[in-house]
Amino acid sequence: MSESTHPRVTGSVTPETSHPRSAARLAPAKSCCQTPSQVSAGPRAPVVAIVGAPNTGKSTLFNALTASRVTTGNWPGTTVEVSRGVWRATPPASPCTRGGCADGHEESTQDLTVLDLPGAYSLDAHSPDEHLTRELLQEGPVDERPDLCVVTVDASRLAHGLYLVAQVRELPLRVVVAMTMSDVALQRGVSIDSHALAEGLGCPVVTTDPRRRTGLDTLAAVVRTTLAAPVPAPRPTPDTDDALTRDDDRFTWLSAAAEQATVVPGHDRLTLSDKVDRWVTAPLLGPPVFLAVMWAVFQLTTTVATPLQDALDRLFSGPVTDTVMAGLTLVHLDGTWVEGLLVNGLVAGVGMLLTFVPLMALMFVLLALLEDSGYLARAAVVTDRLMRTIGLPGRAFLPLVVGFGCNVPAISATRILPDARQRLLTVLLVPFTSCSARLTVFVMLGTVFFGRNAGTAVFGMYVASVALIVLVGLLLRRTLWRTMGSEPLIIDLPAYHVPTLRLMALVVWQRVRGFLRTASGIIVITVSAVWLLQSVPAVAGQSFGHVGVEDSVYGVVARTVSPVFEPAGFNQWQTASALMVGFVAKEAVISSWAQTYATDQPQPGQSGLLGEHIQAAFQQSSGGHTLPAVLAFMVFLLAYTPCVATLAAQRREVGLRWTAFGVAVQLATAWLLAVAVFQVGRLFW
Amino acid sequence: MATGMDLRSAPLGEPLTLLRVDDPLLGQRLATLGLREGVSFRLLTHTVGGGRILLVDGSRIALGSDLVRRLRARAA
Repeated sequence: MSESTHPRVTGSVTPETSHPRSAARLAPAKSCCQTPSQVSAGPRAPVVAIVGAPNTGKSTLFNALTASRVTTGNWPGTTVEVSRGVWRATPPASPCTRGGCADGHEESTQDLTVLDLPGAYSLDAHSPDEHLTRELLQEGPVDERPDLCVVTVDASRLAHGLYLVAQVRELPLRVVVAMTMSDVALQRGVSIDSHALAEGLGCPVVTTDPRRRTGLDTLAAVVRTTLAAPVPAPRPTPDTDDALTRDDDRFTWLSAAAEQATVVPGHDRLTLSDKVDRWVTAPLLGPPVFLAVMWAVFQLTTTVATPLQDALDRLFSGPVTDTVMAGLTLVHLDGTWVEGLLVNGLVAGVGMLLTFVPLMALMFVLLALLEDSGYLARAAVVTDRLMRTIGLPGRAFLPLVVGFGCNVPAISATRILPDARQRLLTVLLVPFTSCSARLTVFVMLGTVFFGRNAGTAVFGMYVASVALIVLVGLLLRRTLWRTMGSEPLIIDLPAYHVPTLRLMALVVWQRVRGFLRTASGIIVITVSAVWLLQSVPAVAGQSFGHVGVEDSVYGVVARTVSPVFEPAGFNQWQTASALMVGFVAKEAVISSWAQTYATDQPQPGQSGLLGEHIQAAFQQSSGGHTLPAVLAFMVFLLAYTPCVATLAAQRREVGLRWTAFGVAVQLATAWLLAVAVFQVGRLFW
Repeated sequence: MATGMDLRSAPLGEPLTLLRVDDPLLGQRLATLGLREGVSFRLLTHTVGGGRILLVDGSRIALGSDLVRRLRARAA
């Protein structure tokens, strides 16, 4: 199959829900936290698609085969885009046997293009993700389908993973089953004869552990041998249109294959996971455990990261600034607009961004730990009742959790929801999840205004975020979606396991890199734009680059906007300007402050006094009610539009009209809540 | 005809057999997870909001409270 006949996977592929039978369309996918991997082995390389039920190790296998960077996690719905990578398929040194390997394998390496398709329990398409998988495997023209399909099956839950195998075997496709989680199966006393299973399924079965990178060379050999053979005849099915009859036939077939290959203990043994679940999902204990876990995450993040942040701050405001100044003096550019751009703009802005890398990395490590351990799937069970109050199923919690990392992939993750109205409501609610970019501002304000209680203040914002989601969700449900039903909670719980260091490192690195890549671009553009607007005078008698910030175009616009925030207690024009910049990206709020204050009074080392400037600003604008004003500002920051990238993702998923509606809801909610917080707070503080 | 008991009143830890699921779409969705009419399973634990976690063919499936009320089973 040539690449020209397979244009659907040259970009991020998204389901075209309005035209279900059309080929998946291309859409640019840009995220501050991840972008789907998009590399191919060339137009002549065979295409191998990896499919499987959610949480059977699909994305982990893809990563292991391609050394690519796809988000992997121990909970359903991790793959929401189609990723593509190159697999340098190298067979083992010695031949293996059938069921695993085939004779006559070649020694040389062969490059294969690998697609990581969204998780699907079946090809019946209950959700857009499953629809996309069906479209790519079943509904497209035969010559556009993958050359081979690797179906991942969890050995510890063999029966329900084989339903998809049964459906894929009914298609004119080469199929190889990759059996994962054999170690978990063995722990549960289940042993599987892969040769017997291969006989029963009529396709090769390879035992592999992508988390530990074992069995991959055997898989390479089997895949290459299978690719060299003709496409096998599809499995015969009953000649009927009755879905139940076809289902019965599939279950009879897969049950026979599983039974002849599996030795199971007399009854399913209770595992450590079951014992842990009795506590963490229990009616009384589950919610406090969930809150305690989340609190620990944010407390750990702030307390451990703070010293590292301080050290980096000193580095940038000291030696780095001094070095740049010395260089500028050397080329006689000190005291010019270049100094303003470089020292007060780029060094201060980028330096401020980099000080938050330890914080972000720590947060990502802890979230990866929760994901990879399997706890997040339980969190969806615990929060199901809460989600149901706003008419959303428990699994809507999953995109919302992703939103706490970054809103952009969270918007894409809403595709795991089968109901269009539930997807729309979730897309509108995701911006209220407190993303990691907002975390940087919360941590800074928490440290400046709440001292040792910074962690609790930040945690409070996350609780407020959840409350905001419920509040806005209830409001929308009671007004626009009164007739919306709710899907029953059905979640396939993965076994808990000890997170793999390599996988966690991969996920953390991918997210930190994504954050840095996007944020640095946004920061540089924003900082440059802010500097330009601050350099252009808005009053007569001043020249470009030699104008006080307050008299610049930037200052004038900010001063025009700032009275809007007077009832909320933060009508300083510098604060309003930071919010204006924050509309582009929250990563830029602090750099905007740093830039504004440093440009206003450009002494060397100014950025170290940023906290004092901000304290003074809030104290002045609130008439001495500093804490209520800061809390009002934090609530506004939490509720208003997260960033333009999120808007782009929303527009892609729900269209321009609903995106604009979302922005209006966000701004109105943010302003009303901020005013309420300040006006009530000033009565007490 | 509805017989047996709903899962809300079914005991934890005892082998149960699932009876017919009235909603074909729901039945199909549960079947892909291994939970079909006539299949043996056990309830493992209560969850927040009145749901249950059940064990079927090695899989642990969390079900919400409304589903727990709708599904019926009998002692295996």
